[in-house]
Amino acid sequence: MRGLAIVLGLGLWVGALAAPVDLKINLRVGEAPLEWGRIYQTPKGQRYRVDLLKFYLSELALVRPDGREVRVGGLALAEFRRGGPTQGVSVMRFEVPSGEYRGLRFDVGVPRELNHQDAATQEFPLGVNSGMYWAWNPGYIFYRLEGAAFLEGREEKWVIHMGTDAFRIPVRLHDLQMRRVRLEVPPRGTSFVLNLDIARAFLPGPNGAFLDWRQPRLRQLHGMSPETALVMSVVYYQMLNAFSLAR
Amino acid sequence: MHAGRWLLWVVPLVLLGLERPAPPSHAPAPDPRALRAARAVPIPPDNPQTPAKVELGRRLFYDPRLSLDGRVACASCHRPEFAFSDGGKPVSVGVFGRKGSRNAPTLTNVAFRRRLFWEGRSPRLELQAVGPLTAHHEMAMEPEALAQRLSSIPEYARAFQEVFGEPPTLKNVAFALAAFERTLLSYDSPFDRFVAGDDSALSPAARRGMELFFSERGDCFHCHVGPEFTDDEPRNTGLYTVYPDVGLARITGKDEDVGKFKTPTLRNVALTAPYMHDGSRKTLREVVEHYNRGGEPNLNADPLIRPLGLSEREVDDLVAFLESLTDTRFIANPALLPPR
Repeated sequence: MRGLAIVLGLGLWVGALAAPVDLKINLRVGEAPLEWGRIYQTPKGQRYRVDLLKFYLSELALVRPDGREVRVGGLALAEFRRGGPTQGVSVMRFEVPSGEYRGLRFDVGVPRELNHQDAATQEFPLGVNSGMYWAWNPGYIFYRLEGAAFLEGREEKWVIHMGTDAFRIPVRLHDLQMRRVRLEVPPRGTSFVLNLDIARAFLPGPNGAFLDWRQPRLRQLHGMSPETALVMSVVYYQMLNAFSLAR
Repeated sequence: MHAGRWLLWVVPLVLLGLERPAPPSHAPAPDPRALRAARAVPIPPDNPQTPAKVELGRRLFYDPRLSLDGRVACASCHRPEFAFSDGGKPVSVGVFGRKGSRNAPTLTNVAFRRRLFWEGRSPRLELQAVGPLTAHHEMAMEPEALAQRLSSIPEYARAFQEVFGEPPTLKNVAFALAAFERTLLSYDSPFDRFVAGDDSALSPAARRGMELFFSERGDCFHCHVGPEFTDDEPRNTGLYTVYPDVGLARITGKDEDVGKFKTPTLRNVALTAPYMHDGSRKTLREVVEHYNRGGEPNLNADPLIRPLGLSEREVDDLVAFLESLTDTRFIANPALLPPR
């Protein structure tokens, strides 16, 4: 009898550890699903298309109702290309104890202790074959969004390559104060679906600065260059609120 | 308040170039005869050099199929006849005619560079090669597209299997290119022959220029150090008062790094015009005159940048010495030219 209790208890404990969770992403432009090839418009009236999105996701943790965290860790590279799916795309699978959570947090980026290692010796999703290694600026592009702008009949390529340790984006989707967020992980596992509004990058900042593709230097937005740092900071600021839990 | 008053005096003086900090104390000028160049090429343990890998790297280096539009090879901007620089172009032209913003540097003795790119922020050739292969305005290849394209070419599929035991990837393309680049060695200039004991190797003007180069007066040797004629350190050389390209600050975001670019090697420098990070100086004489004038006022300028007071003849002598760093056998070495 006592042996059976131990086995049952152990089974429950193992079950609590082993609930699988699938983290999925919906790409949005505002409230609507992103459609490849469709031409959108920024709040400043510039027309654009999106061709590629890749980003690193790391330091994932689920937040318990008492504020403690269940750290998942790991590093994933989410990749969205023209013609591929944009809704409900699985980007990371992990296991956590079943139970109730008040949300989750993660970073868009590569942890510092991985970001500066020799990329020639690192394995996917890091390393030079990831397409995210920044050869001239040691470290990785954390968030890579590319597309085309339509300027007076011309089509101009644009890129946003956000990286360097200072531009790791903390995403905090938990709410311990108002308790409006509740995530349930049943023993059999579940999916969490997040919306990512890629158009947040094109919103003007509090100072009115915005990504103006009429300026050639802003079509290649990289890292921390003082020439583009103000607009990169605006994009970063807007990206802080680009992720949300899908309802 | 005190700091503000101090700045009121010092900033205008520095901007006007009337008052510069004294150059810092450095090691004394070396005896040029001591600059024997023969050294073992550093080979990273994870990319051992083999003849087959070097040969594969050479084929890749000259192959425009590595670029998105199939028209740009590494050798398009690093041309052997110009000591693997871009033959008179201030900035290089990449796929679909896209222009870069910087002058393609020579690859002479690139095996010994501790830092790569003009900011000097890439630590090794295997990683540096990824930059041009993937940059939008250079070769613009995605890793998957490059692997797919090379895998579809039977001779490459076979060669990669032989050299790396796996199909082509961006990583092993970069490793093969690095292996070839480590063979771009140049130590047979008149200066090298002089160092080796041939007193007749240098013209009288070049010899006078050499004395100036390695003197506190000419003061070239503090940055263009040793047998490689560089210390690989980033510096602001007072090229502009306001730099359109901010250099190292592009990475660090720091004001004090604005206008800092890596000191280039001077080996084969007579073949690599135009000069400076943006190719803005057409001739060696223009470059020497820039340093002789002390550059443009710039708060980040290296303390060594100051008016040198060289005569016209001394400027000519320095140019003659720089021309003596040309190794004509290097640029004609069949092992470094396009494979037949």
